[in-house]
Amino acid sequence: MAFCDLRPVKIYNEGAGVTYIIGDVFAVYANAPQPLIYSWDLVQKVTEDKRAITIHTENCDFIIPKKDFSDQADYFRAIAIIECAQKSGGFEYVHQRRILPLKSEYIETDPGKESYYGSCEIDENDAAATFIMLMNFRLVKVLWLLAVMLMLVILLALHIFVGITRSNVLYFIPISIIGGAILTLIVYMICHAVARRKYTAVSSCDPASNEPISFIISPYGFSACESCIADNQELIPWSSLDYFIESDKMFVFYKDGSTSVFVPKKAFDKKCIGGIADIISLRLEQR
Amino acid sequence: MGVEIKSEHIDIGGSNVVLASVRGGKAVIGTCSAGYGAKRGDTSAQTRLFYIGNDPVAEILCPNHGSKSSDKLISLCTGYSAMDDEIHDTLTESFARLNKGDSLAAGLHDVLALLPDGVYTIYYSDYYPTDGAGTFFWGAYNLAHEIHGTAEHNRTIGRSKTFRPCFLIPGAPLDTYDSKLLPMTNEAAKSRVCQGIVYHLSGLHSVLLKGHHGAVSCVDAKIPYKCAVIEKINEPYTDEPVKPVAAPAPAETPAPAEAAEAPTDGAAAEEAAPEAEAAPAEQPKPAPEAPKQEGITGFRSASVKIPLELFPREMLKILLETRFEYKPEQYRALIRKLGLVRKKSYSNKVIPRPVLDQCEQMPDCEMMESVFTVDKLTQGQLNALLAGEVEYNDEIIISPNFYASIVTACNYLQFTNPKKFVEFSLAILDNPELYATHEYIANRISRVTSKDVYAFFKAVLANGDPGYEKIANIADKYVTAYDKQKNSK
Repeated sequence: MAFCDLRPVKIYNEGAGVTYIIGDVFAVYANAPQPLIYSWDLVQKVTEDKRAITIHTENCDFIIPKKDFSDQADYFRAIAIIECAQKSGGFEYVHQRRILPLKSEYIETDPGKESYYGSCEIDENDAAATFIMLMNFRLVKVLWLLAVMLMLVILLALHIFVGITRSNVLYFIPISIIGGAILTLIVYMICHAVARRKYTAVSSCDPASNEPISFIISPYGFSACESCIADNQELIPWSSLDYFIESDKMFVFYKDGSTSVFVPKKAFDKKCIGGIADIISLRLEQR
Repeated sequence: MGVEIKSEHIDIGGSNVVLASVRGGKAVIGTCSAGYGAKRGDTSAQTRLFYIGNDPVAEILCPNHGSKSSDKLISLCTGYSAMDDEIHDTLTESFARLNKGDSLAAGLHDVLALLPDGVYTIYYSDYYPTDGAGTFFWGAYNLAHEIHGTAEHNRTIGRSKTFRPCFLIPGAPLDTYDSKLLPMTNEAAKSRVCQGIVYHLSGLHSVLLKGHHGAVSCVDAKIPYKCAVIEKINEPYTDEPVKPVAAPAPAETPAPAEAAEAPTDGAAAEEAAPEAEAAPAEQPKPAPEAPKQEGITGFRSASVKIPLELFPREMLKILLETRFEYKPEQYRALIRKLGLVRKKSYSNKVIPRPVLDQCEQMPDCEMMESVFTVDKLTQGQLNALLAGEVEYNDEIIISPNFYASIVTACNYLQFTNPKKFVEFSLAILDNPELYATHEYIANRISRVTSKDVYAFFKAVLANGDPGYEKIANIADKYVTAYDKQKNSK
């Protein structure tokens, strides 16, 4: 099992006087002499929201507030254990948006000698810039079309309201072109803001956005995992991804039409980028 | 932090179980996951390792994403020559202490310190020094192949029953076999209380840590191979709540019609039916619901199920606060060594022929599975099976599958009552309707030397019945071997 080395996490809820242990099983030490223990196949659903992790069993719901975790590493460990248990336990898992792939996608395998290792925080500006670049990539034709259409619309409006004559046509054409360009630029800026907001909305949900992330690019797969829980023995096979896009700052992997993970180039040595690009492009389609 | 080992005796249903907990263990003997076989081009098979010190000893390939119901492919790791001296000395010392009369907990104390953190049960049990298919264990794992009975959840035995592992995997390669040691071990084996120390690996198989030469001596001298077993308790289990039986109706109240449809035996059914017709139908009172237990019932290993309430508090804490299996410190060294090439492609050591022959006669995995599956088999149940039924007194005899029932019953009888086994098997072979089982049963019965079997096989060959075409070959071999044996006497 992937991440089998992560120590079980003990969480004490002072208000209720209850201790929870998240490990190979889920245990609740309340007032009874014996703890209540659930194997993960007895858990029906786990919900992770902004404030708490809730573990739903057939008869009880256990709410573990995030503030009760003694440190951030404990929280990441608990989430990783739950996500791995979800693979074997088969319970429903409802979570907030993530900037990193779920731990249930990992398999335990040795990355091998030809692997590249790197670590860095995912910079919000870099990620937003990549989002914008991707947006440009998609919208560039649409924006040109929009600009031409707006020019024609402005020209038509001037004709209707003012009337185009031989004397003013030389003024109206540049006015239409400039008007169309300005409006398109405004649309473009709005899209930028939306793209940046889209990333920040995801990153604000996921505490991993403020954590150093360890990356592995191996011939067998890749890994992007919080450094505090990474042990460099887990990979997501390339076969689970669809394609990738390379920007000047990042590699962006796609799965089912949406971004799976951003791999910043700055996480690795500059001289390794060529080798990394080779590994990725040999295994994934580049778009 | 030093190693902290505690042992406790608990009573489960009248039997005494020894539990030992290890905290801060050295983790130099144990198992760990070694990832998926991505390099083999197979990402659906998980690899596990049994290691001793810095050496991977056995590679365990777990197909179907490590499914606990699938048998494993096990092979001794290439390049492994022998265990570290320090570990060897600890095992030797513990072995000597057990044979001097120390208790299990005291004798195995130093061995437990070499294990990963967790809770273990320790006990004595007789082992068959084979791979579960009649091959002497010490040369049976040179090539990776599927070993029957190595699944954690045995499909025949079922998940709810416990079983005692009884087959072996060597903890030392055959290269370490030295025939010069045999005279000494032959003598020592006769007086030993404990013949070996084993660590349970998976399903019916355990790794022998100490006592390899003794195994040769015990088989040769037909001495039971009694081993001290260390078994990790790490699997949560949940028992289905037992549904209480509805209170029986008072004598003057006639049994309701629906209830009469399920009598406990045939005679009772005949008596109940007319009364049921005469009396007005009355709904039986529903049985009171058993209070459903919240969470798991307890933790188990292969041989023992321990309810939570019987667990010592400290041991339960260790169980919850450590992972069931984790990577040792030397993990990277183990992985690096996993791909090494064996120094010798094969061993030129030869185990004495009589020992190998003896092993072929020992109970095999299918037989042991049946023994752990069937609690009791009465003559009535056997007759019902011969009549083509899978139920007796409205209870499934062994399995709803008829052929599985026949096979399991045969194997069970072969182990528990050889005479009845011959009778039952011959009765099956006599029944042409059970044609599908004939080849299997003939194969099983051909391992027994019996006049009746000889007579049956001889008749098969003499009659040339096309219905016995499939077993003619087996019959021929049996008759030839029997005649040869008779003539040599």
